[in-house]
This record gives sequence, C-alpha cells and structure tokens, in this order.
Amino acid sequence: MNKIVWSIVGITLLITLGLEFTFLSDYDSHWWNSIPAFYALYGFLCCVAIIYFGKFLAKNIVNRDIHYYD
Amino acid sequence: MIEFLTIPGVILIVGAFLLPFLPEKMRSSVFLLFPLASLYVVFTTADGYSFSMDFLSYQLQVMEVDRLSRVFGIIFSITAFVAGVYAHHIKDLGQQISALVYAGGALGVTFAGDLLTLIIFWELMAVSSVWLIWARRTKESDGAGMRYLIYHALGGGILLSGIIWHYADTGSLAVESISQNYTISNVLMLIGVCINAAVIPLHTWLADAYPKATITGAVFMSAFTTKSAVYVLIRVFPGWELLTWFGAAMAIYGVVYAVICKDIREILAYHIISQVGFMVCGIGIGTEMALNGATAHAYSHILYKSLLFMGTGAVLYATGTSKLVNLGGLFKKMPYTFGLYMVGALSISGIPLFNGFISKSMTISAAGYAHNETAQLMLLLASVGTFLSVGLKLPWFTWFDREENDIEVKKLPVNMYIAMSIAAFACIFYGLFPNTLYAYLPFESDYHPFTIYHFVETLQISAMTLAGFWLLKKKLAGELIIALDVDWFFRKAAPTTRLVLVTWVDNFYDRVEDGILSITGFLTEKFKNPMLWLNPFTDRRNKSDGYSPAMDVAMSFIMLTFIVISILYFL
Repeated sequence: MNKIVWSIVGITLLITLGLEFTFLSDYDSHWWNSIPAFYALYGFLCCVAIIYFGKFLAKNIVNRDIHYYD
Repeated sequence: MIEFLTIPGVILIVGAFLLPFLPEKMRSSVFLLFPLASLYVVFTTADGYSFSMDFLSYQLQVMEVDRLSRVFGIIFSITAFVAGVYAHHIKDLGQQISALVYAGGALGVTFAGDLLTLIIFWELMAVSSVWLIWARRTKESDGAGMRYLIYHALGGGILLSGIIWHYADTGSLAVESISQNYTISNVLMLIGVCINAAVIPLHTWLADAYPKATITGAVFMSAFTTKSAVYVLIRVFPGWELLTWFGAAMAIYGVVYAVICKDIREILAYHIISQVGFMVCGIGIGTEMALNGATAHAYSHILYKSLLFMGTGAVLYATGTSKLVNLGGLFKKMPYTFGLYMVGALSISGIPLFNGFISKSMTISAAGYAHNETAQLMLLLASVGTFLSVGLKLPWFTWFDREENDIEVKKLPVNMYIAMSIAAFACIFYGLFPNTLYAYLPFESDYHPFTIYHFVETLQISAMTLAGFWLLKKKLAGELIIALDVDWFFRKAAPTTRLVLVTWVDNFYDRVEDGILSITGFLTEKFKNPMLWLNPFTDRRNKSDGYSPAMDVAMSFIMLTFIVISILYFL
C-alpha cells in the first residue's frame, strides 16, 4: 500500500508540475500564479492544518464520551 | 383537475395515497412509477408553462416552469427513483409513504410559483421526512427526530411570518428574486430558508438527525431538504453578499467536523453542510456563472451524495455498525461497495472525469472571476478537507486499516447494488460529458472545465492531500466519542428550559386548579344549607331538595295548572 500511495503522489506531481512549467508558465490571473507549485504547497499545508486544527478542537473542546447526552 | 394532477409534486403525493391500497408485494415496484411519471412531466412541459388555481381570495400559481426549476425538477425526480430502487427491499409502508410525500414536497417547492404554495410544500417536507428518522425505532432516533421536527417547525414558522410580512409590504406573493435589502420581512424569509439550507449556526438538525435516520431514509434526506432550500436561495436571494461569507465559512466548518467525527454517516452528514456551503457561496457571489455553478453543484452533489449515503448505508446494513472504531478491513468482504463508494468519493472530491469536477471547479472559478480571491481560497481549503475526510479517511478506516477485523458481513440485496450502480454511472457520465448538464443550466454557459489549468490545480491539491493524509493518518483513527456542536447550547439548556417553561408553568396551573377546586368545594358545602350558619340557633339539617309531602302536592298542582293554561292559551 505504501508504495502504491507514494507512486500515485509522485506520478501525479511529476505530470502536473511538468504541465505547470511548460503550458502555464505565463498564466497570470491571481497573485499566487507566480509562486511555483502553489497548489501542491497549498494542498499539503491545508491538509496538515485541517488535521492538526481538527485534532486540537476535538481534544480541547468538542470531544465527549459517547453517552454524554444520555 | 387533470392539470392539477400532473404537477410533479402532486403526482408523488397522490402516489403516497394510492400505495396503501396495493398488495404489499407490488408497493416497492409501483413506488418507482411515480418519480418516473414526474420526470416525464418535467421533461415534456415547456418553459414558461404556468398553472393557476383559486384558493380563498388568492390566485395561486401552483406550478411554474422555467430553466431553473426544470433542472432541479429533473434531479429530484431522478433521485427519488434511484433511492426508491435502493429501498426496493423495504416492506415498511410508513417509510414508503413518507418518502413519496417528502419527495413530492421537494418537487412542489421547486415548481411553486407563489410563496403560499411554496410554504405548504415546504412544511409538508418537514412533517413527512421526520418519519424517516423515527422509522429507525431507536431511542436516539426518537430524540433526534423530535429535535429535527422542532427545528423545522421553527424554520417554517419564521419563513411563513416573513412571507406574510412580505405580502403586507408589497402585495405580491410571487416567488421572484429580491434585491439585497435587509428589511424585517426579507431577513425573516432568509433565516427561514437558511435553516433548511443548514447554514451555520442553524445547521445542527442535519448533523444530528441524518446519521440516525433509517438506512434508506438517509438517502432520500441527503437529497431534498437542503437542496430545495438552495433552489429557493438561488431563486429569491441571488447576489446577497452575506451569503458568500456564510457559504465559505460553512464549507470549511463542515469539513473540519467531518475530520473530527467518527461515525461514517455523521461524516457524510457534516459534509453535506460543507457542500451546501459551496452552493451558498456561489449564490452570494451572484454572477450568472456563479449561479450556474451553484445549480450544477446542487445537481452533481445530489447524485454523488446519495451514492455515498447508499455506500455507507450498505456498510451499516451488512455489518450493523457505522462506527469507524468497529469497522476496518472490509475490502475483501465488500469490494463492490468499496468501488461504487469510491466513485462517489472521487466525484465529491472534484477529481477530473467525475461529476464533482465539472461543477465544483465552476463554482470556485466563478469566485475567481468575480475577483473574490479570499472566498476562492476558502473554497479550495474546503475541497482539501473534502478529499481528506470523505475521499481518504472514511474509506481507509472502513475498508482497509485493520485487516484482522473479523466483523460479520450480511449479504446485500441486489437492488442496493443496482441503485448504487445507476448513481455511479451518472457520476461518471456527467463527468465525461459535462455539456449534457450545462445545457440545462439556468443561464447560457461557455464554461470549459477541461483546461490544463484546472487539471493542474485539482490534481496537485489532491495529490498533496493524499500525501498529508498518508503521513498523519494515525491521528484520524476511530474512537468512541461524540463531537459537540452548537446544539450543545440548547440541548444543555433543555432541562432548565423545560423546568422553567413547562414544569413550573404546569405546577402553577396545578396549584391554581387545586385552589379553585377547594374554594368551589368550600362554597358548595356552605351554600347547600345557608340556614346552618345564618341561623346559629338551629341544628336542623335541611335537605335542599327535600320538601314535606303537602308542599310537593301543592307545587305539582300549581305546575299542572300552569301547563293546562298555557296549552289552552296556545290552542
């Protein structure tokens, strides 16, 4: 499983980064288009942020025992 | 009259009345005819068709067809059919009837040309769908159903008061767009509709009730209530700026909870809130492209969300549990369900060549074209969370992870597979041929989803979300917890509220009643024979109706004379 996952990630990144640097190199409609691999970075950072934020929220505020309301 | 019976909503409701008279074996199959008939009517009725009826002193536009109502009518009919196939093995007449009335209500709202017709079908949806929760017949579903009903009664009441106020102000009952103006009547209507659209913080009924509904009921519920509210928002409140931010916020709010939650159907329920956020955000932006995006997203969403609810429902049916902590390692036992679920999961994550891609990218791009980059980035953040929770976390901890899990798996009825396959086919079909959907959108569209930019954008985000999940997946593993939401405030306040508003009031009335009764008793006792206390020198206990025989005779004689004289007089 490990290998499959990392090869999916690797191949997708390779293709999309290739496309980005060839076809979209002069594309400019948002401020972030000038940052190379912005969407990859954004995706990764958001993913980590949501997991840690969710975990923080769960641990400190919202998680309760399953019978909390009974 | 015949025309009245061809209104799509009415067809389904009439179906609900006919169903009990049919033999049990035929009911599930006949059920499917009504959504098909409604689909036929929706397709064959021309734009601009309207049908009006007199009701009291009003002329009601019971049905009005245009491009916007048609596209919603199509998808509501299709879903009612697909969900009907999924529920084909169910023998519970109550569920079948409430599902038909519920779908009929949603279709009625869609084609309602005036606000009075709309509110009638609107309330009908609330009171019929609650039975799909109660039909689960557990203690949890009883409570959740009651909270759901109270919430919707409140929402319907607020909407109705808004409508009445609106009518008093403008003299018009037409369902038409209102320009952004926060008057009391508009705000009341907006709040009423937002409750059904599960706009935060008015969303808790959804996350509370949907996971506790029956397996098949949840499939119906995932499609109708929120999306008919989205329809009304598109129709009545396009371009209301506040909706942009509420929409973007609920898109993120929903996915954060979907990451926290540990029950597969609760994950999906929270995720509806997130997806409706995309639509609400598009409605707030209000450009033609954004409204098209919101409509297309509602259409796609209904298809893949019902597929996802069918997939998780199948897991619940087969294993008897929907808690992640008990699931895992089901891949070898339920491979087809996994495959069909993943079609829905990839669709909802907006992966290219699935139908989520053609509508989600449209909504997000619309935010970009409207130069609302903050909203655009918020929606992109929400799509990361979508893929993370519904596309990775849920399937990983359900079908993989704990290979040693020896949970027993019941065989699924064939109709469940058929229903899931129809929905999965539709997801892929629209993903490959987006123009088949774009042709039905309310505005002309020259949007092209298959551009290199969109591919790069979506695939980079998704690939790195996968990487992030893979590195941190242990943090998301199942536990036996519930996650509190803002309904904590009123659920915790419920005992005190009940004490103050019910128990104390009851007690007060009890006391007053007791008091009045004892006063009455006292007075009756005393006035039975006032001589006893008016004349303290006697101890004769007179009976109030007891006279001496001589007195009786005298009185009877007077009475007789009186009768004889009156008879003589009248003759």
